[in-house]
Amino acid sequence: MAVWRGRTKGGARDAAAPEVTDTSAPATSAMLDVRDLKIHFPTDDGLVKAVDGISFTLDRGKTLGIVGESGSGKSVTSLGIMGLHHGTNAKVSGKIWLDGEELIAASAARVRELRGDKVAMIFQDPLSSLHPYYTVGYQISEAYLIHNKVGKKAAKQHAIEMLNRVGIPNPQTRVDDYPHQFSGGMRQRAMIAMSLSCNPELLIADEPTTALDVTVQAQILDLMADLQQEFGSAVIIITHDLGVVAELADDILVMYAGRMAEYGTSEDIFDRPAHPYAWGLLGSMPRMDRARSERLIPIPGTPPSLINVPSGCPFHPRCAYAANTNGKSFNEVPPLRAVGPGHQAACHLSTDEQRRIWGELLAAQLSVADSDQQREDA
Amino acid sequence: MVTFIVRRLIATIFLLVVVSMVTYAVFFLIPRLAGQNSYQLATQYVGRNPTRAAVLDIEQKLGLNEPLWVQYGRFIRGLAFGEHYNSGTSSTYCPPPCFGYSFRSQQAVWPLMVSSLPVTISLAIGAAILWLVGGVAIGVVSALKRGTLFDRFSMGIALAGVSLPIFFTGLLSLALFSYKWPIFPNVTFVPFTQNPLLWARNLVLPWVTLAFLYAALYARLTRAGMLETMSEDYIRTARAKGLNERTVIIKHGLRAALTPIITIFGMDLGALLGGAVITEHTFSLNGLGQFTILAIDNQDLPEILGVTMLAAFFIIIANLAVDILYAVVDPRVRH
Amino acid sequence: MKRRGFMGLAAVGAVATLALAACGGGSSSSSGGGGGSGGSSGPSGFNAAVTGVVNPSNTKSTGTLTYGLSSTPDSTDPGNTYYAFMWNFTRLYTMPLMTYASSPGSAGLKVVPDLATAPGTVSDNGLTWTYHLKTNVKFEDGTPVTSEDVKYAVERTFDRSLFPLGPSYYPLLLGGNAAKYPGPFKDRSKNLMGLTAIATPDAHTVVFHLAKPFADFNYVAAIPQSAPVPPNKDTGANYQLHPMSTGPYKFQSYQLNKQLTLVPNTNWNPATDPQAKQLVSKITVTMNMNANDIDNRLLAGDLDVDMAGSGVQAAARAKILSSTSLKAQADNPISGFLWFAYLNTVVPPMNNVHCRMAIEYAANKTNLQTAYGGPFAGGQIASTVSPPNVVGHKSFDLYEATTKPGGDVAKAKEQLKLCGQPNGFTTGIAYRSDRPKEVAAATALQQALSLAGIKTTLHGYPAGTYYANFAGVPKYMHQHNIGIAFGGWAPDWPDGYGFFDFITAGNTISPAGNTNIEELNDPVVNDLLAKYGTTTDEATRNSYTAQIDMQVMKDAGILPEVYAKSLLYRNANLTNVYVQPYYGMYNYAVLGLK
Repeated sequence: MAVWRGRTKGGARDAAAPEVTDTSAPATSAMLDVRDLKIHFPTDDGLVKAVDGISFTLDRGKTLGIVGESGSGKSVTSLGIMGLHHGTNAKVSGKIWLDGEELIAASAARVRELRGDKVAMIFQDPLSSLHPYYTVGYQISEAYLIHNKVGKKAAKQHAIEMLNRVGIPNPQTRVDDYPHQFSGGMRQRAMIAMSLSCNPELLIADEPTTALDVTVQAQILDLMADLQQEFGSAVIIITHDLGVVAELADDILVMYAGRMAEYGTSEDIFDRPAHPYAWGLLGSMPRMDRARSERLIPIPGTPPSLINVPSGCPFHPRCAYAANTNGKSFNEVPPLRAVGPGHQAACHLSTDEQRRIWGELLAAQLSVADSDQQREDA
Repeated sequence: MVTFIVRRLIATIFLLVVVSMVTYAVFFLIPRLAGQNSYQLATQYVGRNPTRAAVLDIEQKLGLNEPLWVQYGRFIRGLAFGEHYNSGTSSTYCPPPCFGYSFRSQQAVWPLMVSSLPVTISLAIGAAILWLVGGVAIGVVSALKRGTLFDRFSMGIALAGVSLPIFFTGLLSLALFSYKWPIFPNVTFVPFTQNPLLWARNLVLPWVTLAFLYAALYARLTRAGMLETMSEDYIRTARAKGLNERTVIIKHGLRAALTPIITIFGMDLGALLGGAVITEHTFSLNGLGQFTILAIDNQDLPEILGVTMLAAFFIIIANLAVDILYAVVDPRVRH
Repeated sequence: MKRRGFMGLAAVGAVATLALAACGGGSSSSSGGGGGSGGSSGPSGFNAAVTGVVNPSNTKSTGTLTYGLSSTPDSTDPGNTYYAFMWNFTRLYTMPLMTYASSPGSAGLKVVPDLATAPGTVSDNGLTWTYHLKTNVKFEDGTPVTSEDVKYAVERTFDRSLFPLGPSYYPLLLGGNAAKYPGPFKDRSKNLMGLTAIATPDAHTVVFHLAKPFADFNYVAAIPQSAPVPPNKDTGANYQLHPMSTGPYKFQSYQLNKQLTLVPNTNWNPATDPQAKQLVSKITVTMNMNANDIDNRLLAGDLDVDMAGSGVQAAARAKILSSTSLKAQADNPISGFLWFAYLNTVVPPMNNVHCRMAIEYAANKTNLQTAYGGPFAGGQIASTVSPPNVVGHKSFDLYEATTKPGGDVAKAKEQLKLCGQPNGFTTGIAYRSDRPKEVAAATALQQALSLAGIKTTLHGYPAGTYYANFAGVPKYMHQHNIGIAFGGWAPDWPDGYGFFDFITAGNTISPAGNTNIEELNDPVVNDLLAKYGTTTDEATRNSYTAQIDMQVMKDAGILPEVYAKSLLYRNANLTNVYVQPYYGMYNYAVLGLK
């Protein structure tokens, strides 16, 4: 099998992946432990099951990448962790332990205390996510002042330091500039500065580079990696872009229709993906080392409605292998099964079937052996 | 920022000049185009039943038979230096700023307008504070409690406020609270310097009547603005930082939602300073609005011209103030 | 006085009226209110103040008498005002040579001496009138009043550019250099006291030299223009802000066209001024009030007097007439106005008297009365040109106005045959388009005339220029074939000359600003009017009124419609309330508070 050429980080995950059974206490000593998280929104059109039973863990200093199409529930998951569903009509169930403290049952006030302080978030579009009327320095100071009793001057000084840390030149002058006076990349750096200003233990980055162009993307990702090393925080990166995840993630969670499709280390997902959806993602991902003449293979169909999730396996309408399951895909929800040590997938295909298909049919197309290996036109 | 202000100031002055020209032309040119000669024009300055000699006197004093641009030049000069109305046999002096001379009441127009200003300013500013605070507060609460009974109720009242004409609500309030139950009898203007309590008490009914209309409008506007603002991304960011909800709503949400409100507020206040005609008439308050009605009823052209220019001036200045304020509030505009 | 130009405004208030009328009461009853009858004999009830004094009292009060006005005075300067209510009100702070007796009923139509000791003494074949002044009258600052102050007061009215608003009898009647006298402001050194027509032989005698005999001169002297003005205190156009008082009150403050406050004049000697009283501590006039607001405050007791004195608006009228308690505090006097139509005697075919008589017969008087506001607010159906409160008035009815108020089409058609237009004719009707009552009247007349075959076209003009540019320009009327023009008239003084001269004398026809709009030039009428000037015997003079009236009606030069009436409301707190018949409203000079 070919080795995925990228940054390998070797996930230090427990071999015993917590299968979703007992939700009474954190099973691991991981910093973040999410168990069977469900977030449903009652609307006039019906119950939107945005997140429908997600479980994962994350250690300090590690990065989890949550991958999926738009509408797969990845952003909602992060909102759930941040407790931003309070005040909305979302129905949340399950457990989220952050450093031993359970968040879902916690009071809104407690969760608010933790926000920005222990858990911080950066968003996709820094231009719309930063308030246009306040200076960047003010907004960073504001974040700092909520959780730290210091004077305004000290907060501003801290903001300047943060701006410096994220690599913004002339931070003393730029601290008084407004968001629209920054370029796209600088703005995202400023947002990162803001989220890290309280030295959070968990940083959630929701599509941090989607709004940036490619050259800037790499810079931002490098920055995030550096800062993670420096601050020792855990990072969740939410994205639809596997390339981003390849750079940074230790573990990857693939979501589909609000549910877990596959969960494992990034090695697992890239080298030996078990779920047909993951196969599709890898196939439809543009890569630098693929010959130009090769066409991308998009996954046919469109993401499903979260109100009327397809019966059985939610992926079955778009799955090329649904027929191989003796009809189970149409009627039974596939359970999350271990397909390897610390590697789970929710698919009716047997593990052997998966390995076979992957190995025989797709490995040749998707793996890259040598750059000079010739490719046939597909 | 300074360059911005300077640029706007220059534009404002230019606009004032243009407005004065147009107003002047309308009052003096259009009757000409309609076929009136300067004698007939002069008859409109001397009140009812004039003698021929009086009309000729006015015609000469006002220089109505001079070319329009000469008349306009005199008018501008009069604004700066005052004006002598000279007919050879008699002369009248109108001190600067001379907005014209009302021959009907034998008084310069400017002092007449200035004496009406305290009433209009009291009315406008008092009502403005009421409607701004009340309207915005109700709008914010309605937006936050969208769909609840409070929201539906307050928006219903707002609809009524916007739809009911001022003379209706004004007369109703008078009928109930002034004539029937003497809570606010004898609504007359008492100068603030004379008796602040009575000044306020007598203005309560007109304030509330006027504010009701505008508050309704502002409540609806604020509600819409808040709903839009609160769904913006930066609100999500603010919450993600851990800010308490009140700070999120006011500092982050309302601050952004208020910018269009400020624009409209400036315009409304500017227009109101030119005279809240219907309110003043309903409550018998002698402000610029009543002055305007009287001037029109008497067909006193210098007074009408003067009050038109003054009202235009207020609106233009309000426009300028709003532009500057907008730049202060929204930094994106400055660059 | 030429009061045709004055009636309330309230264009905006019209809609407000509708709003409040809905809350008001039922419609007014159509009881035929006569001129002065109808009330109970005691000093209370409906119309009580028309015939007697309600709440007679001489008790002083510390209260404030509040007046409200829906417009503004033309001027508070006694030399520059023409409004009836101002001629009434100025007696609170001025004493003209003569004034109208403070009394209800016909006694109030007489002029009595005010600043003068007696009516003028006539000499020199009617060309000289001498008045002696009371000796102990002072201005508000204690300066004694002299004859020069009276002469100066008259002199200043000659400056028509400074004071264009008052009547102009003095320049017309006085001799000497009156025709060329420019007033004391131009070339002051020469013209101050330069009017040779007035002599001041001593400090208390004023002598007027007339150009022609004019027996009605006492009436002219009753106009406020003869009230004394000290020359060294005359601030010209600003005198209106603080005229020097010789009456019971003086100006404390006047915000022009907004608020006037009067306080008692300590230098007023009541013994010299029996026609006025000083009974309250303060008088305030709030101007530019909403007309309906005034009525509401009157009814609520917050306001004492509606200064305009022309009656309540439609909404309050409905309330008052439908409530017995409110009606008991109302009065319905004749205001002294006649509403009528001029029937032009020159525009063919109306130059034939029978064509005009046809119009007199065809007109539907009841509909016209309704157009003006019905019996209470419009007035009493008129059959004569002079209203009942003109001295010498006699009632008669040539064209069945009171017997067949709906019109007599048959007789109209007879007259049409006589004037050679058996199938009717066509002419125009002029009226003021911004006066709703006149619009309604013109339409009513048009309909009534069409029944007799007389076709009319309606021509509406704005009130401000109606007389100056249209109806008052004979050439315009001829060119546009307008034979009928609506108008109103009240006399400057209540005798036949005062009423008839301007509107029926042949020599008053003028090419612009014409007041004899029917262009009547009847030698009988002209002769009688001329005799007014020379006849000194009052009874004889007063007999002319009826004669002129009869002749004008025989000529069918005027189609009388209604003797205007107004519905006044008197506040229960007022004392000495009565309708002064010359002004047609409550006598302001004597009002007090309980």
